[in-house]
Amino acid sequence: MDFELSNEQRSWQMLARKFAEEEIRPISLARDAIETPRETWDWDIIKKGSKLGFRTMAVPKEWGGHGTDFVTQALVMTELAKADSAISKAFSQNWKWSHLISASCTEEQKKRFLPAFVADDTFVLGKGITEPSAGSDNRMPMDDPKTGVKLRAERQGDVWILNGEKTFIANAPVGKLFFIDARTDTTVPPKQGTTMFLVPSDTPGFRIGKVFNKSGWRFYQNGEMIFENARVPHANVVGEVGGAVHKAGGAGGDTTGGDLFGDLELSANALGICDDACETALRFVNTAKRGGQVLFAQQNVQLQINRMFMLTEALRSYVLRVAWEHDRKIHSHNAGLAMNYSTDVVQEVTELYMAIRGSQGCHMDHHADKIARDAFIWSHLAGDSVSRMKVTRRIH
Amino acid sequence: MYNLHLSAEQLEIRDTVRDFVTREIKPVALKAERLDLRDRSLPMQLLDQASPMGLRTLALSEDRGGAGADELTCCIVTEELAAGDADIAAVLATTSWLGHILFDYAMSDAQCERFLTKFASDDRFHLAFAGHEADVDTRLGVNYHRPAVTTAPVNTTAVKASSGEWIINGIKDCVANAPIAALFAVSVAIPGQSNAKVLLVPGDMPGLSVRAYEKPWRHGCSGDVTFKDCRVPADHLLGDDAAALLVGIDAPGEGISSFQALNLGIGRAAYEAAVDYAQIRVQGGRPLIEHQAIGTKLAEIAIKLEVARTAVWQAAWASDHPDAIADRSLPDLPLKSIAQIFTSEMMMKATKDAAEIFGAMGVMRDMPLQKYIHDARVCLHSGNGNSDTKLRLAEVIAGYRRPAGPAMAIAGE
Repeated sequence: MDFELSNEQRSWQMLARKFAEEEIRPISLARDAIETPRETWDWDIIKKGSKLGFRTMAVPKEWGGHGTDFVTQALVMTELAKADSAISKAFSQNWKWSHLISASCTEEQKKRFLPAFVADDTFVLGKGITEPSAGSDNRMPMDDPKTGVKLRAERQGDVWILNGEKTFIANAPVGKLFFIDARTDTTVPPKQGTTMFLVPSDTPGFRIGKVFNKSGWRFYQNGEMIFENARVPHANVVGEVGGAVHKAGGAGGDTTGGDLFGDLELSANALGICDDACETALRFVNTAKRGGQVLFAQQNVQLQINRMFMLTEALRSYVLRVAWEHDRKIHSHNAGLAMNYSTDVVQEVTELYMAIRGSQGCHMDHHADKIARDAFIWSHLAGDSVSRMKVTRRIH
Repeated sequence: MYNLHLSAEQLEIRDTVRDFVTREIKPVALKAERLDLRDRSLPMQLLDQASPMGLRTLALSEDRGGAGADELTCCIVTEELAAGDADIAAVLATTSWLGHILFDYAMSDAQCERFLTKFASDDRFHLAFAGHEADVDTRLGVNYHRPAVTTAPVNTTAVKASSGEWIINGIKDCVANAPIAALFAVSVAIPGQSNAKVLLVPGDMPGLSVRAYEKPWRHGCSGDVTFKDCRVPADHLLGDDAAALLVGIDAPGEGISSFQALNLGIGRAAYEAAVDYAQIRVQGGRPLIEHQAIGTKLAEIAIKLEVARTAVWQAAWASDHPDAIADRSLPDLPLKSIAQIFTSEMMMKATKDAAEIFGAMGVMRDMPLQKYIHDARVCLHSGNGNSDTKLRLAEVIAGYRRPAGPAMAIAGE
């Protein structure tokens, strides 16, 4: 077992650490405090990060990207998330769908979309799955044809006409290209009757509705998508008609039915928040004084710090093991378990951090409040009972 | 005898308040703009409506025009109010309890006569205790089980002018109800006297100014109160025991049982929302509540609520029946602290679990669940925090007697 990072991995990590500390952290709290949800996004930081490679790092080198391995991707997400979890996610969301393009798109589709994506610092990707009446049902699909996505796609010659809506879609308000799951056959179970389409944001008949006002991850945009006779060329069908069940980790040879990158992504991002909480907490207890002594002098504080670091280091081991296994095409339920575990860890660690800081009079530190709100996002993405049961079904 | 039967009056007032919450408070509290944590402005109109129902003067004795409610009744009312809106519950609980302490115990007959009519009759007459000062830390911390003074020094001074008036100078912070208070009780240091005293200061006194906090980590409304050569008549000084009655009144786990009931109300609002949603929302071919995982989660929330309520009610009941400890019916432990710690930890978990059931809607700022989580966090991390409350409890368990100090020490002594 070799825990040493390669020079290339180390240099990406250092680049990310420098960018995170010098560019992301200084804007993090101010962005979180902006009240209007569509104004929390900052194109400037996206462009700066894009020029350093943080938008395109999962695109293969032959397509002009950086072709980084999973370990590098995990390291970079953690470093970026340490300064701001939501901004880290805004970058890594592009990697998730870069993986999907590599895994599932044809050469012709790659030619149409990848060079444009790589060249444009403001080209952001997204995927629309969830609908008002299909959330958990998409994660654990059933055989009943009435369940699952309702967004309808009907073919007219070389064009598909899409009608319906998507909700809670990450990057919807800022993305230029989306993968959209639509129902192409309502008489068969959703697994067989759903097709994935590439939908550029300027598609006629497609628009963004409400931009959601979230309590955590405020920088990261999330919105509704509305399709009113949206016209999508047949050439934009990803894979087969009726075969929407593509996963972003497919290129890695995933046979577990999981989303290789997506699972790793959430656990690596959580690790960054934990690193931030641990480091800030340690600095705080070594400087803040109560009763004439630094907080670190107190047994209870030492026990809290102990638990924060123990959980964080255990999560790091799990995250890097999963990334390392992915790079060796060893795929198991571990990616999903690490994602579930990261929910428990990131919430406990941020709550301990808040407890250590305590309220000052009747004020709470903005940073402690922010990372606790960010951490709660995991509850519905990575740690809800459906996520956990879905992972459990891979353990066989 | 320990008795969990609520009286006919208690049941009636619970139904009345529950009905008020359903008809009047919830339609306002559940509006998207009110759920957004950036807007914590008080719905004054609802407070105005609550006052004629007797909720502002709930704990004030009947002789003095109040409802004379005991602590258990106050808890029942506060839980109901907080299930609608935690801020409304906090404002009313603060004024009600301060009214009881000030008018029923602390004021002289002459002082009562001066302020009582106005307090009892003016629906907007709220009360505040200005005790806390910035940068004062009363946590036990390293002084656990060690003889160090951990009471708060008082830096705000009151000097007697030749006219006999008191001239107050200083700044108080974290004063609950400050932005709306018509009358303040202010802890002050008087030169030459060893213990802090308390002065009554009407809110419209020249020299008194309030800076309201926009987003305090506390329910209700609060702010800084600055006294700059603020003059009050000589007879506004409260008796020596007033300071002892008021100290800790704004600290969770010490003063008002209602604060724990408020916390319960927040958890109950989250629970009721989750149960309703789980019955309506269909995924996996059935309503959520028919899935084992969700049913169990709701059961766990219900357990937390019921056990926490038992702890809160027991502590309130013990306050209402001091002989229950003397006759060994209840343990001689700080039951309010125990209720405070347990309730705040359990409600934190309960609100998070309830929110998880809502999926992405659980984190949306125009939806209630994220607000309940925030409100529960505020309860969990208010005042000195649970770590410190546990240390105070540990000192009692250890039989450690902290050297008796003044209720409120004067700075520099």
